[in-house]
Amino acid sequence: MTRKVDLEVVNRLYQKAGAVRLKMDIEPKFKPGDRVLARNINPTGHTRLPRYVRGKEGVVRRDNGVFHLPDARVAGDGDQPQHNYSIRFEARELWGGDAPATDCLNIDLWEDYLDHA
Amino acid sequence: MSSDGIPGPDSEVALRVKAMESLLLEKGLVESSAIDALIDMFENRLGPWNGAQVVARAWTDPEYKAWLLQDGTGAIADMGFDAVQGEDMVVVENTPQVHNIVVCTLCSCFPWATLGLPPVWYKSAPFRSRAASDPRGVLAEFGTEIGADTEVRVWDSNAELRYMVLPERPTGTDGLDAEALAKLVTRDSMIGVTKVAPPD
Repeated sequence: MTRKVDLEVVNRLYQKAGAVRLKMDIEPKFKPGDRVLARNINPTGHTRLPRYVRGKEGVVRRDNGVFHLPDARVAGDGDQPQHNYSIRFEARELWGGDAPATDCLNIDLWEDYLDHA
Repeated sequence: MSSDGIPGPDSEVALRVKAMESLLLEKGLVESSAIDALIDMFENRLGPWNGAQVVARAWTDPEYKAWLLQDGTGAIADMGFDAVQGEDMVVVENTPQVHNIVVCTLCSCFPWATLGLPPVWYKSAPFRSRAASDPRGVLAEFGTEIGADTEVRVWDSNAELRYMVLPERPTGTDGLDAEALAKLVTRDSMIGVTKVAPPD
């Protein structure tokens, strides 16, 4: 049954409508400073692991907390809550030696996308 | 409406929107008051003027700035801008040593509560790919030159957090209060593709 879009639905958008952070006490697998390797996986379905970081090595900058793994939710595989981390990749690791040594790219990745390097 | 202000035939897009609106209303899927409220939200209530007030407060209040950089979500909520697509915010600071630029390579994630809806170029494939792989080239196209010694830090907001850049306060603004400073802050400077220009 589709809910009618009325004024109440719209006004809820002002009240943290899309909050998806989970208040779950789950032991993190990684900590800031850990060197990690983004898995080289090639799923046919939805993932938030872009191709350009697959197989690349980075460093955990921050533990963002616990969120549902979108890959599993979209596939209908149920909830797989887990930590998500801000990972710093050096520009040269991603784009090769012509990239400036000063620069980096940071991306938020779920635990299932990562292994210890 | 034609460009000279004289009413003319609607564009194809406008006609399609009108047709869809009529259908949604007739089928009882949407209330017209909800459509008005949504338009009001994105025209008047959620937009870069919110983010500009956050930036101006951070420029004039060191304690607030420290809070904003440590807990973006809480500090922005303190200004009342914690609506949809602003639930989990990270604010990154531009300095002479570090220039931050935000992109969503997978789609168009954007902090609506502070910056409004994303501009068309932000959603385009060329920006999404090149901001990640060649940020200095993209910045140069926006007229933003970054020194070779400055670290360029790209943030791909592909997951659940939303990012906003705290731009550098321009020179020549010592005497300005937060209200005047907020008027200088642009949406693009809070995405990190430009800097805030000094006042004329």
